[in-house]
Amino acid sequence: MTLAAPLWVPLAAGCLRLVGGYSVRNLGRARAEFDGIWRETDDPLMLCGNHLTLIDSFLIMWVLRSPWRLLTDPKSFAWNTPERTNFARSPLYSALTYFAKCIPITRGGRREDTGLVLDRVVHLLERGELALLFPEGGRSRSGRVDPAAAAWGVGRVIGALPNCRVLCIFLRGDAQQSWGRFPARGDTLTVEMSCIEPKSDYRGARRSRDLARQVTAQLAKMEEEYFDGRQ
Amino acid sequence: MEQSEVLERVVKILTPWAKNEEALAKVGMETSILDDLKVNSARLVDVIIAFEDDFDIEIADEDVDSVNSVGDAVNLILAKL
Repeated sequence: MTLAAPLWVPLAAGCLRLVGGYSVRNLGRARAEFDGIWRETDDPLMLCGNHLTLIDSFLIMWVLRSPWRLLTDPKSFAWNTPERTNFARSPLYSALTYFAKCIPITRGGRREDTGLVLDRVVHLLERGELALLFPEGGRSRSGRVDPAAAAWGVGRVIGALPNCRVLCIFLRGDAQQSWGRFPARGDTLTVEMSCIEPKSDYRGARRSRDLARQVTAQLAKMEEEYFDGRQ
Repeated sequence: MEQSEVLERVVKILTPWAKNEEALAKVGMETSILDDLKVNSARLVDVIIAFEDDFDIEIADEDVDSVNSVGDAVNLILAKL
């Protein structure tokens, strides 16, 4: 976390609450649940969420941790890998990601560069840091989790870490119809969490795809339960 | 197996994933799989697994890091055969 964290973390949380007008159902329960999972063991823990808006990384951290907890336990502020062209598009995005714990990645970039980013994520998780990846590789254009759209990189990270736990986080606003830049102003968000330990008997690239698909399958299951609950 | 035969089979495997038909029509060893053929990077793993199945080889994650062009894929496969 940067030295500017005490300034921007409460500011970002304030913006989500006051400017965005967002609220979260059972926020206290979600934070307590995450705290228990985070403290449970020293095994690597990676966060994987469904992805519908540009600010999902911020929303997830806001849901999991109060600003105070993020500042007093900076390891629990997750590293994330934003798409370089998204945040480079405007000075605002550049500033936000510069101050956050970001390892930019270029979707469709050179494979060596992608491999280096994934290696860095593995290294950080090994050191007890937290990392947040979106296993679909980008915002879901259908507005729903696509289990088959598992990005191989997530599986590669899981496969490189024995006993890697994956905290699947399903987050969606009541007014969210499809994908977009931001949730609707004043939206109420629902969050569900499920911690899994993906395993695979396959080898090589097939193993990575299998591990990644276990994560997207879990997210799709959580999404199905969410919509079932709303009917 | 000859390089030309591997190239032909690689192009056949890539065809369903290639979104740029113009680049596909004049594909060569230098053609970039992602930039020129416009294969979705998230689907590259499916292409790699199709290579594994078609050529009966195993490709490690780290090997994928070296695959940018069609020629990279052909050379990797030739090295594994």
